This record gives sequence, structure tokens and C-alpha cells, in this order.
Amino acid sequence: MKQALVDDTEDVSLDFGSEEELAFPKAKIRHPLATFFHLFFRVSATVTYVCCDWFSRSFGGCFVTVLLLLSCDFWSVKNVTGSLLVGLRWRNQIDEDGKSHWIFEARKVSPHRPTATEAEVRIFWLSLIICPVIWIVFFFGTLFSLKLKWLALVTAGISLQAANLYGYVLCKMGGERDISKVTAGFLSHTVLPTVSGLPPGPALRALAVNKANGKWLPCPDHTHNNTTPNHFLTSLVFLEGRVRFQIG
Amino acid sequence: MAKAVESSGELGTTSPRPLMRDLKAVGKKFMHVLYPRKSNTLLRDWDLWGPLILCVTLALMLQRSSVDSEQDGGPQFAEVFVIIWFGAVTITVNSKLLGGNISFFQSLCVLGYCILPLTVAMLVCRLVLLAEQGPINFMVRLFVVIVMFAWSIVASTAFLADSQPPNRKALAIYPVFLFYFVISWMILTFTPQ
Repeated sequence: MKQALVDDTEDVSLDFGSEEELAFPKAKIRHPLATFFHLFFRVSATVTYVCCDWFSRSFGGCFVTVLLLLSCDFWSVKNVTGSLLVGLRWRNQIDEDGKSHWIFEARKVSPHRPTATEAEVRIFWLSLIICPVIWIVFFFGTLFSLKLKWLALVTAGISLQAANLYGYVLCKMGGERDISKVTAGFLSHTVLPTVSGLPPGPALRALAVNKANGKWLPCPDHTHNNTTPNHFLTSLVFLEGRVRFQIG
Repeated sequence: MAKAVESSGELGTTSPRPLMRDLKAVGKKFMHVLYPRKSNTLLRDWDLWGPLILCVTLALMLQRSSVDSEQDGGPQFAEVFVIIWFGAVTITVNSKLLGGNISFFQSLCVLGYCILPLTVAMLVCRLVLLAEQGPINFMVRLFVVIVMFAWSIVASTAFLADSQPPNRKALAIYPVFLFYFVISWMILTFTPQ
């Protein structure tokens, strides 16, 4: 199982070369169902929240409906559309001694598998980014109009949508193949929190693969408090082979 | 859902995850709460779908039906939600500050799933309340709530106690006791009118 894990997490950036376009038939959307459901749950949750006063006067009914739609959206984006549309996946794994690891994976682009089209990728990322922003606007709306009973629902909405956004952004940013790309990526990772206001996040711990036998080796433990960039870069310099980012 | 695409089954690939696997995992955890044993399933394979379902069910059942449509159970509904999630988060933070080695989401998972006995108690209480009100009615409900409260405590202690160092167990369990006590109180004092 670990071997399969290792082989499939080679990460290549998702730019589409011309040979790929020739290999597969030109289609604007290759996964129509996945794209439709990716958008459907998010949009209908937002629309239901906005228009619930027109449909029914029951607070409980509206709350449950929006929450149900948000949960369906969270599940489908996390488990299905992410891997179908952009080949990314994030999850949590608890190993035998009880330690929890967050794993961010990106699928290797291979000529035998049709990847997603540009339109799908753009739809995926745009809706992933825009929807949490909309829910944050709703949050301030309920706060300032003092309709505080909706605050619980809006908070749930923000946390569910933002969790997916955070997970996929970390997938996209982590796990490059070359050391140079890793350091460049990591510098942008340190710049990004200051610029965009994303939280710096828990300590990053990189695991390296020993190419000979495919076993995971932990790199020197600089974690537990926020790892400074210098520590992280020095530990990367000593690593060989593929690096996979884990948030521990 | 049309997207329950079967993956090829390998954990290493980034193919879509089947829906049935998640549903079965949730059902298995419910069984583990009903029959608490020393097993690691709740801890190793955590998910928060079960707590969400239980929370929503409990909040729906604790709604008061009132005549006035303005006060249509709004505050009580969100109240239950906030109490459960905020309470669970507080207990988790407390247990982490005491030096427990359980992760944040694992603790939320256990606390959420162990609300199941109290949800069953709520169902029973609602059925009992359909009969005539009186002291016997109240005694029956009190008995049911106490039994289910004890069940919740036993179930959550079975999973959570191991994660704490021995001299801190009582300090970690005491907020769990309070949490389930508050929920039991809400259930016991519920009247439909």
C-alpha cells in the first residue's frame, strides 16, 4: 500500500502541453457530471440561504436544507471533483502510534489518462475561491443587520467552504519534484501568508522517500513550534529523492 | 448521488472516493458507541458526519412548536447547535492543554458520536410526552435520561481516557461530564408547549 502511495504522488504542474491536446479529443468539458455537481451544491446552498424567506417561514427547515447542501458540497468537492477535475486530494491519516498526519497529494500527469480541460480547471478554482468570499460577506451581513440566529449557519458555511479551499491550495503548493522548485515554492509559501493574510499554518514537516526501498524517512524534527523558513530549507538540502509535504 | 464513482480501490491513487464506504464507516462508528469496547475505530478513522447528523437531529427534536410564527423555534435551534459544537471544541482545547495526545478532530469525533445515547433518550422522551403529563411521566423520563447520560459518559471515557496521563484523567473527564449534563438537562426540561 505504501508503495502505491509513493508511486502515485509524483507531482507535476498542471500545464497542458500540445501533445496532450492531440492525444485526446478536443472537448471543452470532459467531466460534465462532476463539473455540474461541483457548482450545483455550492450555488444552490448560497441561493437557498439568500431566498429562504420567500420559500418558507420555518427557520429550522431552511437551516437544515442549507446545511445539507453545504455538507453535500463539502463531501463532493473533497472526495470526487477535486481528484476528477484537477487531480488533487487532501486527507488526514492517523498512524499506529496515534499521530495525525495531513496528506496532500497531486496526481502525476500521464499520457494514458485524460486530464481535465482548462475550462474545468478554471471553473474549479474560481468557484472554490469565490464561494467562501460570498459566505464571508454573508457573515458580515448577518452581524451588522443583527440577525444573529443565522450566524451559526453562516459560520458553518464559511468553515466548510474554507476548509476545502485551504486543503486544495496546500495540495497545489506542496510537493514539487526538484529541490529548486521546492525552495522556490516554499519561498512563495512564506510570502503568501503575509500578503494574503492566510494563517502561517502549523509546522510543516517533510518526509523523504528513500528511493532504494520506498520507505518513508522522517527528516530531522524541527517541528512543534512554527518552523522558520531557514530550518526548513536546510533540512530540504539534505534530502534526496521525492519530497512530500505533510502538516504534522 | 450520481457521483458515487467507484475508485479502483487503491489508497494511493487520487481517484474519487466511493460514497458507500463513508456511509458504512459512519454506521460502524454508531455501533461502536452503542456497544463500547476497547477498540480504535472511532479514533483511527475519524469523521465528523455522525456528529453533524446527531446534532441536527437533536436540534430539530428540541424545537418548541409555538403558535406565533415569528418565534418559530429559531433561537432554540441555533442554541443547541452552538452549545454542542462550542462545548465540544472547548473540551478538546482543554484536553490538549492538559497534555493529551489525541488530535483535535479525533476528540471532536468521539464527543460527537457519544451524543447518540442522548439522542435516543430524546426520542424516547418525545414519545413518552405524548401520554398524559404527571409525576409518573416525569419519573420515566428522568430514569431514561439518567441511564443514557451514564451510557454517554461511559462510552466517551472508554475512548478518551487513554489519551491522558494518569494523574490528569479526572481533570480531562470532568468537562465531558458537564457537557453531557447540559445536554441531558435540555432534554429533560423540554416540554412541547
